[in-house]
Amino acid sequence: MSLLNTFGMSVTFGGLRAVDEIDFEVPKGSLVGLIGPNGAGKTTLIDGLTGFVPTSGRMVFDGHEIGSLAAHKRAALGLGRTWQSLELFDELSVEENLQVAAERQSAKAFLLDLVHPQRSRDRSGVDFALDVLGIRDLATKMPNEISQGQRKLVSAARALAARPKLVCMDEPAAGLDTRESQELGARLGDIIDAGTSVLLVDHDMGLVLNVCDYIYVIEFGSKIAEGTPAEIKNNPKVIEAYLGQSAGATVGARP
Amino acid sequence: MTATTASRSTQRLNSPAEPSEQESTAATGCPAAPGAPQPSGRKRQLGHVINTRTARNWGIGAVCLVVPIALMWAFDKSQIGQLTLGLGSGALIAAIALGVVLTYKGSGVVNFSNGAVAIFSAYIFHGLRGSFDNGNGKLYMPPLPNPLALVEGTWNSFVTNKSDWVDLPNLPTKIDIDFGNGRMPMVTAFLVALVYAALLGLIFHFLIFRPLRHAPPLAKVVTSVGLFLLLINVITLRFTGTFKPVAEPDLGKKTLKPFGNDIVIQREQLIAAGLVVFVTAVLTVVFKRTRFGLATRAAAENEKGAVVLGFSPEFLAGANWVLSTVVAGTFGILVSAITGLDPITLPFLIIPALGAALLGSFNSFWITSFAGLGIGMIQALTKTFTAKSWFPREWIPQSGLERALPFFIIIIVLFVRGRSLPQRGAVSAGRLPFAPKPNKILWPTVLLSAGALVTVFAFGYDWRQASINTLVGAALALSLVVITGYVGQISLAQAALAGVAGFAMSKFFQSWLPFPLAPLAGALVAAGFGLLIALPALRVRGVNLAVVTLAAALAIEELVLKNAKLAGRSGVLAVDPPRINGLDFGPGNTNLRVFEIKAFKDPNVPPSAWFGVLCLVVVVLLAVMVANVRRSGTGRRFLAVRSNERAAAAAGVSVAGTKLLAFGLSAFIAGIGGAMSGYRFGSVAPSNFGALASITLLAFAYLGGISSVTGAVVAGMIGVNALAFTLLDKRTGIDLKYTVILGAVGLIFTAIQNPEGIAGALRLGTGQFRRKRHLELVEIGGPG
Repeated sequence: MSLLNTFGMSVTFGGLRAVDEIDFEVPKGSLVGLIGPNGAGKTTLIDGLTGFVPTSGRMVFDGHEIGSLAAHKRAALGLGRTWQSLELFDELSVEENLQVAAERQSAKAFLLDLVHPQRSRDRSGVDFALDVLGIRDLATKMPNEISQGQRKLVSAARALAARPKLVCMDEPAAGLDTRESQELGARLGDIIDAGTSVLLVDHDMGLVLNVCDYIYVIEFGSKIAEGTPAEIKNNPKVIEAYLGQSAGATVGARP
Repeated sequence: MTATTASRSTQRLNSPAEPSEQESTAATGCPAAPGAPQPSGRKRQLGHVINTRTARNWGIGAVCLVVPIALMWAFDKSQIGQLTLGLGSGALIAAIALGVVLTYKGSGVVNFSNGAVAIFSAYIFHGLRGSFDNGNGKLYMPPLPNPLALVEGTWNSFVTNKSDWVDLPNLPTKIDIDFGNGRMPMVTAFLVALVYAALLGLIFHFLIFRPLRHAPPLAKVVTSVGLFLLLINVITLRFTGTFKPVAEPDLGKKTLKPFGNDIVIQREQLIAAGLVVFVTAVLTVVFKRTRFGLATRAAAENEKGAVVLGFSPEFLAGANWVLSTVVAGTFGILVSAITGLDPITLPFLIIPALGAALLGSFNSFWITSFAGLGIGMIQALTKTFTAKSWFPREWIPQSGLERALPFFIIIIVLFVRGRSLPQRGAVSAGRLPFAPKPNKILWPTVLLSAGALVTVFAFGYDWRQASINTLVGAALALSLVVITGYVGQISLAQAALAGVAGFAMSKFFQSWLPFPLAPLAGALVAAGFGLLIALPALRVRGVNLAVVTLAAALAIEELVLKNAKLAGRSGVLAVDPPRINGLDFGPGNTNLRVFEIKAFKDPNVPPSAWFGVLCLVVVVLLAVMVANVRRSGTGRRFLAVRSNERAAAAAGVSVAGTKLLAFGLSAFIAGIGGAMSGYRFGSVAPSNFGALASITLLAFAYLGGISSVTGAVVAGMIGVNALAFTLLDKRTGIDLKYTVILGAVGLIFTAIQNPEGIAGALRLGTGQFRRKRHLELVEIGGPG
C-alpha cells in the first residue's frame, strides 16, 4: 500500500526545471532511496515534497492532496524531514528541540502554558526518538556543546519525535565514517520497524544499496532509473551517468 | 576579509543564515506565486530584468507626476502651488533618504538616526550663527564625559548635606566664536557644521557599526535607534526642546506666479528641490562612473569584489558613511529656514525617508530622491485637503493624517514588493541574545517583591514614586521580552500599543467595567492592534519589520491617540483610580489603610504605598506568566521560530500562527502596562505613548536584557525616573535629565560589547566559571 505518490511533480526556478515531471512512490513501511549526482535536484525534490518550494503536478500523501498545503501542515499530517545543514534550534536544548516537533499547539495548551507550564505532557514521541537513535545521554545538552556527528543524530531525532508516517532524510550519512554509516543503517532498520517509512537521499552508495528496498536515480531533475538495489547496481544507464565505470566496479565489490 | 569568509562558513553549520525570502514565504504558509522570480533564474535574466524594470519605474514615476498635475490644472489650479509648498521638506526627506541608501550600500546598516544627524547639523549651524544667543555665535560642544565628575561624585556620596557638596569645573557647553560682528560668517558656519556631520559619520562607522558588522540585525537596529535617541536628547539638552523658526539660510525667497494668479509658487522651495536633484545626479554619476562607486557596488554584492578593485571595504564603508551624514547635514541646514528647527518632528522625517528608500529598493538614488520629494508634496497637499470644510476633522486628526501618510506608503510598498531590502553579500549569522530557561522562579520573585515592598513602605515618597515607575517600566519591557526576546521580531511600536490600551480603557471601558475588567478590556483592544501590526510581520522580518513598526507607532500616535473620536479633543484623557471592594487604590489616595497599614515614611505624600502594592502584584503576575511562556511548549515554539523559521515549519510549527500569537500576547502585556501608566498619572497623554516613547522603551529593554524576565526588571529599574537614576541623582547629583542620554550611550555600548544586556552580564558573571570549565572540557573532548 502506498504512502506517498507523486504524479508529474516539477519544481521550476525561473527558466530552470530543477525537478522535471517525476513520478515516484513510497510504499508504507519501506525504505526508499533517492540517488543522483551533485545538482541532480535531490534536495529540491525533498523541499518540494515538504512544502519549502512551490511545485506543480500532484502529490498525494496518506490519502491527502498535499500540493497546496503549507509546510507545517504537511508536517502535521506526518511528513517529516531532516536537513543536510541540520538546522537545529541553537537556543534550545536537545530535548527541547525534540519537544518542539513532538508537541502540537492549541489554544487550550497556550492558556495552560501561561499558568502551568510544568504539567506533564505526552513524552512518547520524544522518548521514542531519543531511544531509537540512542542519544538519551545528550538530552540536556545544548546543540553547540555536542559533536557534529551527534548533531546529525539530533537532527534525525527531531524529525522522528513527531512520530511521522514518512521521514525524508537529506544526506544523513554525509561526513560519517564507514563504521558510523553502518551504525546509521542499523538505526534506519529500527525506524522502519517502529512503523515510520523512510525516503533516504544520500551519496553513500554503500549505505543506500545496502539498506534500501527500492531506489530511484535522478539526473538533471529527471528520473533515469528505478528498481531494487540489485537492478540499480547492474543498470548500465546508472553506471554511465552516475557511478562511472570504475565506481560501478567499486560498488559491486563492496559487501 | 579572509577571516570573515572563513568564520562565515563555520558559522553556517552552527546557526544557519536567515532563510531567503523565497524559502521563508513557503515556510510562513503563503504559497509563492508560480511565476515568482526564483533565485537561480534571476541571475540568468538579470540584465533584461533591470532594463525593463528601470523603464517601468520611470514610466510609473512619470504617470504619477503628470496625471495629478493635469487633473489639478483642469479642476483647481491653486493646488499646484500648494503641491510645491512641500518641496522644501520633500528635499530634506530625499536627502535623509539618500543618506540612508548610501550607508546601506556602503555597510549594510539601515541608519535610523540619519534624520537626527541632519537636524543636529542644522542646530550646530544656527548655534554658530547666533540664533540661540541673541546673535552671539557659539560653538556648541557635545556632552562629553568629564573625568572630574567621578571624583566629584565619589566625594559627594560621602557627604550627607547637599549644601556641602563640592563643585568641580565642568566641561564647557559652548565656546564663544567672535569674528568681529559676534557670529561666524555664513559659509564658514556651514562648513564647520558639515565637519560636525562628517565626524558623526566617521564615529558612527569606525567606533560603532564596524564592531557590529557581524551582529544580528536586531543589534544594529537598536544601536542606530540608540544614536537617534542620543542625538535628539543632546539637541534638547544643548539647544531647546521646542520648535524654533529661523530666517536663514535664504535660498532666494520670492513669490513666483508663472501661470497667472492661480498658481503661487515659492522660489526657495523650487531651489531646494533643484539642489537635491543636483546632488542625486552627482551621486548617480559617482556610483556609475568612478572606481569608488563601482567598488562600493561590488562590495554590496560581495566584499571580495571591492578588494579586487583595490579598495579596502572599511574605507568604502567609512567614506559612504561620511557622504551620507554630509548630504543629510547639508540639507538639514539648507532647508532649515523653510522647515524651522524642531528636535522631535524633524528627526522623525526618517520615517518618510525610509519609505522613500524602500521605494528605491535601498539602491536607486533617482527613485529614492523623487520619492522623497513626492512624499513631501503629497504631505503638503494633504495639508490643504485637511483644511477644507468637507474634511471629517471629527474623525481624522488634521495634522495626523499628514504625518501618518508615510506609514501607508511603506505598507503598500512592502506588500506590493514583498521583498524590499536586497540581501548583502556579507551576510553574517550573529547570534541573538540568549534566552535562558528560568528554572527557579520562586525565590527571585519573593526576594525582589520583598525589596519592592520595603522601598514602597519604608522609604520616602520619592523612592516610592521611583519604585512605581520601575514597576510600570518593567511591565512594558516584559512585552518586548515576549516579542523581541523570545520570537526575535523587532517591534518599535510597543509604547503605542500600551497607549491604545490606556486610551481604550479611559474612553470606553472605565465608566461601566469595574477595576480588573476595564484594564483587561483595554489590553485586549491593544492585542487586536498588535495582531494588525503582526500582519506585515508575516511578510517582512528584521530591519524591514523595525521600519514598519516604527511607522505604525507614529500612525497610531497621530491617528488613534490624537483622534477626537477615539481619544480626547486635546489628546489627554482622565483615568479614574482603580477601586477594589469600593476602596480607592489610586496613587492619589494616601488615606487608604489596608490591615491598618500605611506607608511608614511620608505617609501623606502621593503616590500611595498601596498603589505600589497593586502595581507590584500586577508585575509579578505578568513576570510569572512570561517566565512560564519560556518554560512551556509555547515558548519552545517561540524560540524555534526565532532560531530558524524553516526548521520550525518542518517541525510542524505554524510560523505565521506563532508570530501572530506572540504579537497578540506582547501587545496585551504592553496594554496592561499602558493601563498601569494611566492609573499612575491619573491620565493618558499621547506624548507618553508615541513613536518616541516606543523607541525609548526598546532602548531601555535592550539595555536591561531583552531576552529574560530579569532583563525586563532591570530595564524597569534603569528607566526614566526609576530607581537607578533616582539613586544616581541622590548620591552623586547627576541630574535626571541625563537619564536618556546615559541610557542611549549605555545601549550602544551594550550592543557592541555585551548583547545579552545587563541581566545577561549578571547571569554570565555568576555562571562564567562553570561555563568556562565546561567549554574547556568539551574542547579537549571531555563530556559529550
